[in-house]
Amino acid sequence: MRRTALLAIGATVYALAAWTVAPGFYDGFGPPQPYNWTCPPPQAGANESPSSGHLTIKVIGGVSDANSAFTDDGQLVIGFLPGAFVVEGKTSINVDIKPLQSCPQPAGLHFVTNVYLVSASATLDPQKSANLVLRYSNLEPDPSTIYTATDPNGQWTAMPRSQQAQPFTIQTRTTTFGYFAAGYPSSSPPPGAVTIGGGQVLPIVVAVLIVVVVLAGLPLAILRRRSR
Amino acid sequence: MIETLRVRSATRAGLLSLFVVAVEWSRALIAQQPGLTFAALLLGGGVLAVAAVGWPPERLGLGTSRFGLRVLGGIALGAVLLLPAAARASAVPLLPAGLATAAVAVSIGEELAFRGALYAVLQDLGGAPLAITGSTLLWTLAHVLSHPPEFLGAVAAAGLLLALWRWACKDLVAPIVGHVVADLAL
Repeated sequence: MRRTALLAIGATVYALAAWTVAPGFYDGFGPPQPYNWTCPPPQAGANESPSSGHLTIKVIGGVSDANSAFTDDGQLVIGFLPGAFVVEGKTSINVDIKPLQSCPQPAGLHFVTNVYLVSASATLDPQKSANLVLRYSNLEPDPSTIYTATDPNGQWTAMPRSQQAQPFTIQTRTTTFGYFAAGYPSSSPPPGAVTIGGGQVLPIVVAVLIVVVVLAGLPLAILRRRSR
Repeated sequence: MIETLRVRSATRAGLLSLFVVAVEWSRALIAQQPGLTFAALLLGGGVLAVAAVGWPPERLGLGTSRFGLRVLGGIALGAVLLLPAAARASAVPLLPAGLATAAVAVSIGEELAFRGALYAVLQDLGGAPLAITGSTLLWTLAHVLSHPPEFLGAVAAAGLLLALWRWACKDLVAPIVGHVVADLAL
């Protein structure tokens, strides 16, 4: 009985400890997700500097084209809808993405991506927000939020998170330009929302394991009881 | 006589600890090199399994009695290990198919080394408490180079859970099955 209780305590301790870091269980077998770091973590190995990006968007008939700006290494992608910019007589709009050459870690936050400055020669129409996607590495815990700031050493604001489209990416919608980085509150590591059975493969795998244990365990328990 | 045996056990435990930690650190460093992940995992698993050579299967917890229950316990352990990740909203990538064989090899190797040979030698030295805490601490230390610091708490807790099972059920089959299932799924 004491052994069972200690085993249950061990399982509880594990669940609590695993819950504090996303994804929850990770044995490091998958190759590291390629990421070009401004400040590489010690386990990153060889590292290349992160890339910048530039895009010129045409304005046709007073409406800016739909297009996406991205860094050459694909670590930040920002997509614009048709007419996303307030063009004010411009014939084209320049969008620039530059990785910050330092790694600010504001109080209470832990960034797991580089900090990028996204700027443009026109402002965004507040009604037509741009979709911003940041890629991250599995050498750091998953981020919970994208943060933005007008000054990297100033106040950072959490942005609403959009539905994740691909592994190792986080996305949001923005109507302003400035500095962007993904991370999580350092006081409470990323909690992750509970969406059991939320369309991913892993919840199905776990559900199948539990069903197997229950289905196979019952006859085994009955057989064991009969044999006594 | 008893003191001699104790010194011999301590020496054995020390050497085995050094061996498994050195293998795990080497594996982690080699796996970081482009194109060497598969080879590092496969070879690392094989070399770790060498730690169990010479031990009677029963001492490692590898008996065959109630084998069905042991396997079932392993599946349950796998479910427990994966539950926190499964309950999260983020898209969790599954292990690339090409690494599956290597993941199985290293999972088995790690269990044979940590909850098998290392547990047994530490148990000889200081009983179950030393075996559980010692194997868990060394397991965590062994993952320092392959895991970001933030993950080490969860790694330690997983090691503790597997070591507690090894102690409570005198079984290594379930930790092997659970570890393999968890690593294949994530």
